[in-house]
Amino acid sequence: MASNSSDKIIDHGNYVPTPVPSRPVAASGLRPYSAAAKREWTQPWPDAATAAPEAVFVDEGEFKEVYLQTPVPANFVVGAGAKLDVTIVVLPGITANIPVTVDITGPEAEVNLKGLYLCSGTDEVTFDVTVHHRVQGCVSHQLFNGLASGSAKCAFFGKIIVAPDAQRTEAYQENHNIVLSDQAKVNTKPQLEIYADDVRCSHGATVGKLNEDEQFYMRSRGIPEGEARVLQMISFVAPVLDGLEDEGLATRIEAAIRSLADR
Amino acid sequence: MSFLKITDLHVAVADKEILQGIDLEIGQGEIHAIMGPNGAGKSTLSAVLTGKPGYEVTSGSIEFMGRDLLAMKPEERSWAGVFLSFQYPIEIPGVSITNFMKTAINSKRKAQGLEPMKGGEFLKMMKEKMALVQMKGEFSKREVNVGFSGGEKKRNEIFQMAMLDPVLAILDETDSGLDVDALKIVADGVNALHTPQKSAIVITHYQKLLEYVRPDRVHVLKAGRIVAEGGDELIDAIEKDGFEQF
Repeated sequence: MASNSSDKIIDHGNYVPTPVPSRPVAASGLRPYSAAAKREWTQPWPDAATAAPEAVFVDEGEFKEVYLQTPVPANFVVGAGAKLDVTIVVLPGITANIPVTVDITGPEAEVNLKGLYLCSGTDEVTFDVTVHHRVQGCVSHQLFNGLASGSAKCAFFGKIIVAPDAQRTEAYQENHNIVLSDQAKVNTKPQLEIYADDVRCSHGATVGKLNEDEQFYMRSRGIPEGEARVLQMISFVAPVLDGLEDEGLATRIEAAIRSLADR
Repeated sequence: MSFLKITDLHVAVADKEILQGIDLEIGQGEIHAIMGPNGAGKSTLSAVLTGKPGYEVTSGSIEFMGRDLLAMKPEERSWAGVFLSFQYPIEIPGVSITNFMKTAINSKRKAQGLEPMKGGEFLKMMKEKMALVQMKGEFSKREVNVGFSGGEKKRNEIFQMAMLDPVLAILDETDSGLDVDALKIVADGVNALHTPQKSAIVITHYQKLLEYVRPDRVHVLKAGRIVAEGGDELIDAIEKDGFEQF
């Protein structure tokens, strides 16, 4: 590739930036996700592409939201110094495909993206998450934990992209799953695409069962097996809910966990 | 009716016979020591007494206060008053000591047809039992055994024992890995909890703990069999000449 301009030539490897969602005309500052779309779904979610096409632009301050049983915006665009703190909760009885892309477009931004999926019966829940660091000096954390019972199928596809210019990026991703039955299936696929050289990135993915030594320890103290499993599951999901301090949400999640433990 | 009667107990783990015919009878209020070298089957015995999965009783029986202990689930044995102080206490991340103990105590109360314990009453009891093993206030908020030192884990076992108030306490190598001070705290706790109604089995491969917790009877377990029985004199004989003599 020849270049006769004086611009510095940077080897971008295979980096091909995807377009950032275009900003709606007349939008300024934070554009809240429309309230109408936030009503709860008790039925399987329609294809998320038609349910929640909107992009949320976080230009300043903090955008903090819990998406409980509701379609999730497909895009978040986070500007300089802004903070995004999003938690997505999927309770049993929902089949959904949830694509979420976070574009970090301004320096010193912070992203905290968390998800919890509790699946039973024939639920099929797929998360398709991309966190795209386009500029330098930003931090992102992802934590997605899932429980699969019955013959549920869960999948987590998580990608971190760090653009060539996004030096001093910190990007972390964790996905932990517990399979509660022989028929349930979990698929996890972490992906890192790093084109910058001064970054701190990590990912961890696990799929396992409830720990039997813990169960016996609890049972030996008089905690029945079912209750021991509930305690284990509550402690497994706790890191995702940490910092939300929402009693109502915690109660609903505990009830959902009990329904999984009974199956 | 015996308090605890083990008759011709054979136990296999993964098709390998570990216990090869154990006979043991423990009366109410008695403290028995089971001593033996590593690999003798001491921990297997404690596992079978508490119903740990993976241990197959191929023959024999265990009668506990008129009930068939082997037919009971681990939680049912706990409700009946059996307690094991684990050699290696298990860490349970994300579960606080308070929540763990509250669930344990209220599960037992539920099984007995009682209402859950009142919050104030429970906290008072926690405080009292923590003082017994010299645990500070923040202990109750910590996750069960997570990040505990060896001594703290063993003190936590004795704390749980105090909370659950068992009639048969099995202390599996509770002295291992303890320094003198921690050993003293643990032993004092065990002695403070002992009453004429309660029995204990102290499993150990050396005599340290037995200097503080005096047994009524000593059994030597070796290669899956009890090879010697007696009183205090056995402890001295083992200290002097080891387990080779049996």
